[in-house]
Amino acid sequence: MGSGAHLQGRSALLEVDDLTVEFPGIRALDSVHFDILAGEVHALVGENGAGKSTLLKVLGGVHRPSSGEVRLSGEAYHPRRPADALAAGIAVIYQEFNLYPDLTVAENVFSGREPYAKGSRGIRYAEINRRTSELFAVLGVTIDPTATVGSLTVSEQQLVEICKALSVDGRIIVMDEPTAALSADEVTQLLDVVKRLRAEGRSVIYVSHRLDEVFALADRVTVLRDGKHIRTCDIADTDPDGLVRLMVGRDVESVFHRDQVSEGTVVLELTDVNAGRRLKDISLTVRAGEVVGIGGIAGAGQPELSQVIFGALGVDSGTMTLNGEPFRPRHPGDAMARGIGFLHEDRKVAGNLPDLSIRHNLTISILDKVRTGIGRFLAPAKETDVYDGYHRRLNIKATGPDQLIGQLSGGNQQKVLLGRALAPGGRLLLLNEPTRGVDIGAKAEIHRLINILTADGAAVLMVSSDLPELLGVSDRVYVMAGGEIVGHLTGADRTEENVVACATTGRRIFSKELSKR
Amino acid sequence: MTTETIIERTGDKPAKISFGRLWDTWGVTAILILLLLCTPAIAPGFLEVENLQSVLRESAYVGIVAVGMTFAIASGAFDLSVGGQLALTSVVSLMAFSGGGTAAAIAAAIVTGLLCGLVNAGLITRLRVPPFVATLGSLFVFRGIAYLLTQDGPKTLPYSQIHSPFVKLGSLNIAGLPLPFIIMVAVFAGGWILLRRTAIGRRTLAYGSSPSAARFCGISDTRIRLFVFGLVGLTVGIAALTYITRVWTADGSAQDGFELKVIAAVVLGGTALKGGKGTLVGTFSAVFLVSVLNEVLVSRGVESAYQRIVLGCVLIVALTIDGLRTRFAGPGSFRRAITGLIPRKTTQATS
Ligand SMILES: Nc1ncnc2c1ncn2[C@@H]1O[C@H](COP(=O)(O)OP(=O)(O)OP(=O)(O)O)[C@@H](O)[C@H]1O
Ligand SMILES: [Mg+2]
Repeated sequence: MGSGAHLQGRSALLEVDDLTVEFPGIRALDSVHFDILAGEVHALVGENGAGKSTLLKVLGGVHRPSSGEVRLSGEAYHPRRPADALAAGIAVIYQEFNLYPDLTVAENVFSGREPYAKGSRGIRYAEINRRTSELFAVLGVTIDPTATVGSLTVSEQQLVEICKALSVDGRIIVMDEPTAALSADEVTQLLDVVKRLRAEGRSVIYVSHRLDEVFALADRVTVLRDGKHIRTCDIADTDPDGLVRLMVGRDVESVFHRDQVSEGTVVLELTDVNAGRRLKDISLTVRAGEVVGIGGIAGAGQPELSQVIFGALGVDSGTMTLNGEPFRPRHPGDAMARGIGFLHEDRKVAGNLPDLSIRHNLTISILDKVRTGIGRFLAPAKETDVYDGYHRRLNIKATGPDQLIGQLSGGNQQKVLLGRALAPGGRLLLLNEPTRGVDIGAKAEIHRLINILTADGAAVLMVSSDLPELLGVSDRVYVMAGGEIVGHLTGADRTEENVVACATTGRRIFSKELSKR
Repeated sequence: MTTETIIERTGDKPAKISFGRLWDTWGVTAILILLLLCTPAIAPGFLEVENLQSVLRESAYVGIVAVGMTFAIASGAFDLSVGGQLALTSVVSLMAFSGGGTAAAIAAAIVTGLLCGLVNAGLITRLRVPPFVATLGSLFVFRGIAYLLTQDGPKTLPYSQIHSPFVKLGSLNIAGLPLPFIIMVAVFAGGWILLRRTAIGRRTLAYGSSPSAARFCGISDTRIRLFVFGLVGLTVGIAALTYITRVWTADGSAQDGFELKVIAAVVLGGTALKGGKGTLVGTFSAVFLVSVLNEVLVSRGVESAYQRIVLGCVLIVALTIDGLRTRFAGPGSFRRAITGLIPRKTTQATS
């Protein structure tokens, strides 16, 4: 897929000229040129903080550029607010969701554009519910249009956002990391949808850190680095390594290295744990020095499992032990006091402290360690040291420790939250989607960090919907389906086929080691 | 590629301070200073020492409680019951004074204030009543109890006690500064340290910013509520002491509308209603902005009915700015907030 030849001679639908966007202390876009042809999929790639989302927000009427020119079908296009973009036929799926948690799925999809019954002010619910269901059918998923959005998983919310954009019938569909929160089968469906949109003659701007998607979909690709336009070319004229070099400015080792682990002591053991309707008879062990992966399709109970261990969800029955002692945390604070670190998969709802600076976001779980003097008061200098450490280590792109976390690019927010989870130095780390939205270089660095931590004896329980990551980083993998553990894969059994088989077909595969438990 | 280029590429540029962020902390202070500079022209007697002392003294009770309220609002909650708390605490403290003297009166004020705070925190965390509703209810309950206790007339300080040390609390000047004002400055200083330099203060801001994220940082909402509402109660206790030693009397109707003055000061000061931010510098200036404004009106002979209207308008302006700032958060928010004031044609929903 992905030859640009058929695009030859087509005229540009959207042209961006010399676009500059400035925020206090940073130039997010610096004289960027960019154009979209009718009926092409145009990938936009670059490191975290390169300016991709900023460019899309300008097109969507969220940010106004400091200077520059945008033309749509040859005419000046300067949206002043999101409604202007919609009216011009540009539908944007933003990286951070904009959903009303208390409204239903259908109400969210049609919010602001609800069809009203004749002569009354009543919304035609039957109609929006039906149309929403139809759109989900196109995406190949089943989500109840009458469910409230707050009750959905992150991946379902992402699908609602996608559905919202598709309902607009736009000329240009803009997608900012639509697959960051999706599981493998949902990604496949989405890729098909994008191809269909192109076949219908629409244009798609597609942002992703997953280069396999870029190469499977795009006709052309544009690379941004530090707000500057680096290169636009036909996808056929480049390859993944070349693209990475353009993005990062150097070569990146993207294969996973996992040092051999020696059998450590059992850190965590769950026996027949039940919790609500979400978890059934969960038994698992995690040893010191190990990375244990949890896979499965979204909504199979993976985040709930980690939340039970962290004390954020109650346990109905079963036993848990931590370092051989009975363990029944009633609140995340209990779990943290016992040396457990936690990363939530939902950055916006359960991660960011939006009014706090990056520095304060990083240190919120280690306030005991950044105090000084007889009064044991918080010491800004010590907090800045913590910031400096993670800033360097995870390559967080920020204007300084006092920048608000919400002003960071998505991937950089993720790095801050990962830093927060690691900062207390927990001996058991529950990491949900640790590299969601993170660029290739930082992803490799995070994997290296996990390696170092486990070599030092920490235990990691990692939930990941990114199969190569799940298989590459984990020593063992549990697969969940419908709230149960339906597979335990070790050694040579750790294959994509086995994970998918367990997760979707109801097959159960338990590698030898577990059965002789 | 060498590491050098990479370091250069990610090197920090110094953060430019945006006007919006400056305005958040120093906006009211600037307005206050402007107003003070104008007073010689609009209210000639204002800058006389006696008058200034009286303004500082009168500001103290609102100011002291505004410190507690800043924490409450920063945590994302209101405490509407502070007026009732003040009345009840004052009455109980006066009763304790006639029974046991100065020490008893002080202890009674502090303990009663703290108990009121505990009741509020209990309603919110145990019965799961939203803070707004819980404290609206307890406002009436506290005032009601104060009325019950003063059924046979307001509690007063007997005139014979005019030389007791207790009375000095409200009337003494130290180096020309009224003692209530000094107490208030101390409470502000303590509050600032608590908010900016202690773990519980930081956790309060985190909780106000996002309760769900705070939970996953191990922050217990029960503890935050107990701390915040306990602190409000404590500040009410201290404020009650400066109040009764100034006016010598209290009953159920004492300081009617007190809660609104306090909330007005905090919001005007720049503490966002949605929680997560708190500025005691702003609150401090706003307390004086309100009382200076009031004093200027009084000296111009404006009727008290109009004074209320002015306070109401000031509150509305403060809330409008807060609302706009929340809606237009982000860079250039100030400009957009101002331009947002001018209504645009809204696109009609499809019908
Ligand atoms: N509201 C804002 N205020 C200040 N700076 C901002 C704001 N939004 C973005 N920035 C800055 O602009 C730069 C570009 O951010 P942008 O979100 O466009 O990156 P991105 O390429 O989408 O990265 P990612 O892959 O992490 O999503 C970043 O350095 C970011 O900190
Ligand atoms: Mg982005």
